[in-house]
Amino acid sequence: MTDDKDVLRDVWFGRIPTCFTLYQDEITEREAEPYYLLLPRVSYLTLVTDKVKKHFQKVMRQEEVSEIWFEYEGTPLKWHYPIGLLFDLHASNTALPWSITVHFKNFPEKDLLHCHSKDVIEAHFMACIKEADALKHKSQVINEMQKKDHKQLWMGLQNDKFEQFWAINRKLMEYPPEDNGFRYIPFRIYQ
Amino acid sequence: QEPLDDSQAAGVGSAEVVRYEYHVLYSSSYQVPVLYFRACFLDGRPLSLDEIWGSVHASYQARLQEGPWDTITQQEHPILGQPFFVLHPCRTKEFISAVLGASQAHHRHTNYIILWLSTVGPVVGLNLPLSYAKLAPEESTGDEV
Repeated sequence: MTDDKDVLRDVWFGRIPTCFTLYQDEITEREAEPYYLLLPRVSYLTLVTDKVKKHFQKVMRQEEVSEIWFEYEGTPLKWHYPIGLLFDLHASNTALPWSITVHFKNFPEKDLLHCHSKDVIEAHFMACIKEADALKHKSQVINEMQKKDHKQLWMGLQNDKFEQFWAINRKLMEYPPEDNGFRYIPFRIYQ
Repeated sequence: QEPLDDSQAAGVGSAEVVRYEYHVLYSSSYQVPVLYFRACFLDGRPLSLDEIWGSVHASYQARLQEGPWDTITQQEHPILGQPFFVLHPCRTKEFISAVLGASQAHHRHTNYIILWLSTVGPVVGLNLPLSYAKLAPEESTGDEV
C-alpha cells in the first residue's frame, strides 16, 4: 500500500466545487445568497454541509425549517451515496461549479433516507465498511478491531484526517502474505 | 435476488390502521436472508423510525437496544432503490446455526426460511401462522442449508 500512497492521497483529497442555492419556494425573510463550497468526493452531503445549513437558516424563520435535503435538476440527491459518486452519476458532463438546490420542506419520503443526526451517517458508513470486510476477510479484521479503532476510522473521515483514517483502514486493506489476495473484492456498481 | 411481497393490515393504537409491506431478500455479502419492510397509514403517510420503534413489542425492545448490530435501521432497498426499514442481518448466521444444529441432531426436517422468518418476523409485526410449521416435506432430507 505504501507505493500507492500518492494515489490514495489524490483520491482522498479530491474536491468538487459546488454552488448551493436555496429553492425558490422556500419562505425567506430576505434574499438568500448562493453559498459556495469545495465538497470532498469521499464524504457525504449531510456530513459536510453544516455551514450551508447555517447560511440559509439565517434568512429563514425557525418554523419554516425542517430536515434539509438536496436536489440536482429535480432529482433528490441521496446523501448516503458518496459525494463523488453523486457528481459522477448526475453531473459529470456539466460545467463546474456543480449547482445544487437546497430544500427545507416537503422531504421526499419515497426517495431519500432520513438523516436526523451525524450518528445516522456514522452507522451507515460503518455498515458499509463492515459489509466490505465480510467479503474481504469474512469480517475477521473488522470484528477483531476495538471500538476505538472503529471510532478513529469514522473521525478520520468526519474531520478530513487522511493519516488518522488510513492508520486503521490499512489493516482492512491488507491480507496475509500466504494468501493471494482478499477472499472476495467488494464492488458496488451504480448506473 | 427475488423479493417476496407480503402485505397485511395491522391495528396500531386506538383506531389507526397501518399497512405493512415485507420483502425477503438475500444478502450475498452475509449469505443470509434479510427482512426489509415499510409501513404506512391508510392515507399513504409513511411511518417514521420512531413510530416503527413504538410498534415493536416491549419484550423485543430491550434486545434491539443492545444494538448496534441487532437494530432496525432505514436502508435503501437494493432493487427498488427506495427507503425501507431493515433488521440488521449480521447476527443471523449465529442464531440460525444454533437452532439448526439442534434440529439436525434430532433428525428433524427444518425449513431454513420458516425457521428464520418465524424468529425475526414477530419483532417487526410479521407473525407466521403455526400451519407453516406443520408443513410436512415429502422426505426429510436434512440438507436445507
